[in-house]
Amino acid sequence: MKNSFDEKILEEASDWLATKRNVILATVIQTWGSSPRPVGSRMIINDKGDFSGSVTGGCVEAAVVRECLSLFKENKNFKKIEFNVSNESAWEVGLACGGEIEIFLEQIS
Amino acid sequence: MKKKLLEEIINKKKKKIEFSIITNLDNGHSFIFEKNKPVEKNFKKYEDKIFLLFNSKKNGIIDGTNIFVETYILPIKVIIVGAVHIAQYLVDFAKNLNFEILIIDPRGYFASEKRFPGLKIINEWPNEAFKQIKTDQNTALIALTHDPKIDDPAIQHALKNKFFYIGALGSKNTHTKRCERLKQSGYSDNEINKIFGPIGIKLGGRSAPEIALSIIAQLVSKVYNT
Repeated sequence: MKNSFDEKILEEASDWLATKRNVILATVIQTWGSSPRPVGSRMIINDKGDFSGSVTGGCVEAAVVRECLSLFKENKNFKKIEFNVSNESAWEVGLACGGEIEIFLEQIS
Repeated sequence: MKKKLLEEIINKKKKKIEFSIITNLDNGHSFIFEKNKPVEKNFKKYEDKIFLLFNSKKNGIIDGTNIFVETYILPIKVIIVGAVHIAQYLVDFAKNLNFEILIIDPRGYFASEKRFPGLKIINEWPNEAFKQIKTDQNTALIALTHDPKIDDPAIQHALKNKFFYIGALGSKNTHTKRCERLKQSGYSDNEINKIFGPIGIKLGGRSAPEIALSIIAQLVSKVYNT
């Protein structure tokens, strides 16, 4: 049995767009080992740095926001990013659980 | 993702259509896959694999490619019989869990729009109400009136249609009597044993929100353990 535990992130993205903000959709596309959230988990980020939803249990969200802000700046449409336990891009970033995840960032245009 | 596609996705969810979003991770191009609709030509060669993921209701990257598939399935339908106090809390919990909720209660003063704003309420006796609702093995029944006139026909409908969860409020005594009535109506012990009665996991709480929590916990555990 399966239920769609839909967190209505896409609906929220649409609301954010309606307020004339640029929005990036972040989706977990692959996981290895013990990662906190399953493939398909989503988060949205706007050009002010507000975010909603999640791609992990709070482990990498701040880094995802930073990646998105630079994506807005460079005006790029999409990017793949990866996080794992040894990720040292910033002191607080990385998955304490030892898992690895890949996230797809795409601007809604 | 194009804004137009996003709106299309939201629309399909509203219309309760099952679909998959297929994204090429190399160029960010997406399209919506639906059963019985042609696959966009850029994705034609992955058709079989997309279909497989769609049918198994899974998300993931197709092996050896850069094609990501995310499948949207319909939420589980939860039918509550009895627009009572507990039902008001159940509705709150169930909304966060994304269940589709319907309330049946022939007693108009209970099942009012004021008590359940924005919810689908059917002001009919269960046998009439079920004529208006499509139910199947992905449907759950929570019977809360503990009035046999209202609960029993709903429970019988749920047993006949093999709902994945059937729970009925009432004490052990009430439930024993209920089981006897069902037996007399021709239901087997095997079928009757599928009913959760007294309803809910053993939390110990007695207040309406606590009972609602124990019911919803039992229902969710049944989603994963059938």
